[in-house]
Amino acid sequence: MKFVDEFRDAELGRVVSGEILNLVEPGRHYKVMEVCGGHTHSIYKYGIDDLLPENVELVHGPGCPVCVIPMGRVDDGIVLAKLPGVIFTCFGDMMRVPGSNGSLLDAKAEGADVRMVYSPLDALRIAKRNPDREVIFFAIGFETTAPSTALTLKRAKAEGVPNFLCMCNHVTIVPPLRALLDSPDLRLDGFVGPGHVSTVVGARPFEFIPADYGKPVVISGFEPLDVLQSVQMILGQLTEGRCMVENQYKRVVPYDGNLRALEIMAEVFEPRPHFEWRGLGFISHSALALTEAYADLDAERRHSVPGVRVADPKACQCGEVLKGVIKPWECKVFGTACTPERPIGTCMVSPEGACAAYYNYGRYAREREVV
Amino acid sequence: MSSCDHEAGCITCGDTAVEMTVVRVDEARGLALCAVTSGEGSETVETELVGPVAPGDELLVHAGTALQRVAGP
Repeated sequence: MKFVDEFRDAELGRVVSGEILNLVEPGRHYKVMEVCGGHTHSIYKYGIDDLLPENVELVHGPGCPVCVIPMGRVDDGIVLAKLPGVIFTCFGDMMRVPGSNGSLLDAKAEGADVRMVYSPLDALRIAKRNPDREVIFFAIGFETTAPSTALTLKRAKAEGVPNFLCMCNHVTIVPPLRALLDSPDLRLDGFVGPGHVSTVVGARPFEFIPADYGKPVVISGFEPLDVLQSVQMILGQLTEGRCMVENQYKRVVPYDGNLRALEIMAEVFEPRPHFEWRGLGFISHSALALTEAYADLDAERRHSVPGVRVADPKACQCGEVLKGVIKPWECKVFGTACTPERPIGTCMVSPEGACAAYYNYGRYAREREVV
Repeated sequence: MSSCDHEAGCITCGDTAVEMTVVRVDEARGLALCAVTSGEGSETVETELVGPVAPGDELLVHAGTALQRVAGP
């Protein structure tokens, strides 16, 4: 298959694996964080970690947007979903994320009109077909998804669809990375950078990591050879004493990103002063709100939401998993009380959550056998 | 095209996108019908962020929006 087979060649994978083995210093432990949930998913789907030497450890980062949404925001969404006459739309995974008193799927079972959509444009179509009802889109995601929401809001405004509203939960990737780098819990040697976020923002925003923290970054694609080569490039920088942002995913990531997308995002969104991240707490300027020009399409301005901070269940250790402090299977409830069918924590909800990826690809059983 | 399937990965809410090939263009509305390049399924895609497209063009698509053109391996 075009652009796929080339990046799943097992023989090439073995060659890169051998080159990685030649790069590592015996006795040194390397910790590399893959920022994206998409990378975590690829690593466990294709067994990429099995192709790495034992002293190269991949640590999962906070780049799964469903995983980092705090329970209080889910509760706020449910309040909006239960308003009379509202059609509440969101992506499929979001429907199963637990709030303090159930999920959006539970709210749907109780009678709320909650509908899954594949894109914000689908939500806008629903609004056009139901002019007598308010349609609220629960917007979630990093800079990969934010342009789609921004374009939809522009369309809603241009086409005059006053019953289309947005509850904006978009987040940005640089502030949590800075928070992680400032955290004393974690010692990292380098980053596999977020490939699809970078198609929008480019590679330039990550230059602070080598400049301020002395860690290499390689923007990576999501196929197995992409990830393997990115790890090789990071280890190459460490071995040669270089430290910079490199772009492994040049086939879709221009160094400066998509300027048109950034321009539209700047028109529609502005940074929130603070936003809560599950496991990381409040991080300044780490999320987006609608600008004044789009205030009439902002669900949170039209309706009041509780906005209450809700603590995670005591048994749930998603916070430590999201910071890379513990492995998913080290969580007390992993695979027992918390499973993809009945998740307690967000990391078990999305297929890109580290816990779900471990669980779905049999890592748990394998780790247990080793123990 | 399936969303929220642990084999395919979530195409919408995660930080992942899919490579698609343009099948038909609706210039007036800034939309294109695209087919998944390495799998099954098609969807209508917003193309404003990548400029004019033509059938056969390869795009990286996320949440119904083309984010970039795919340059090839």
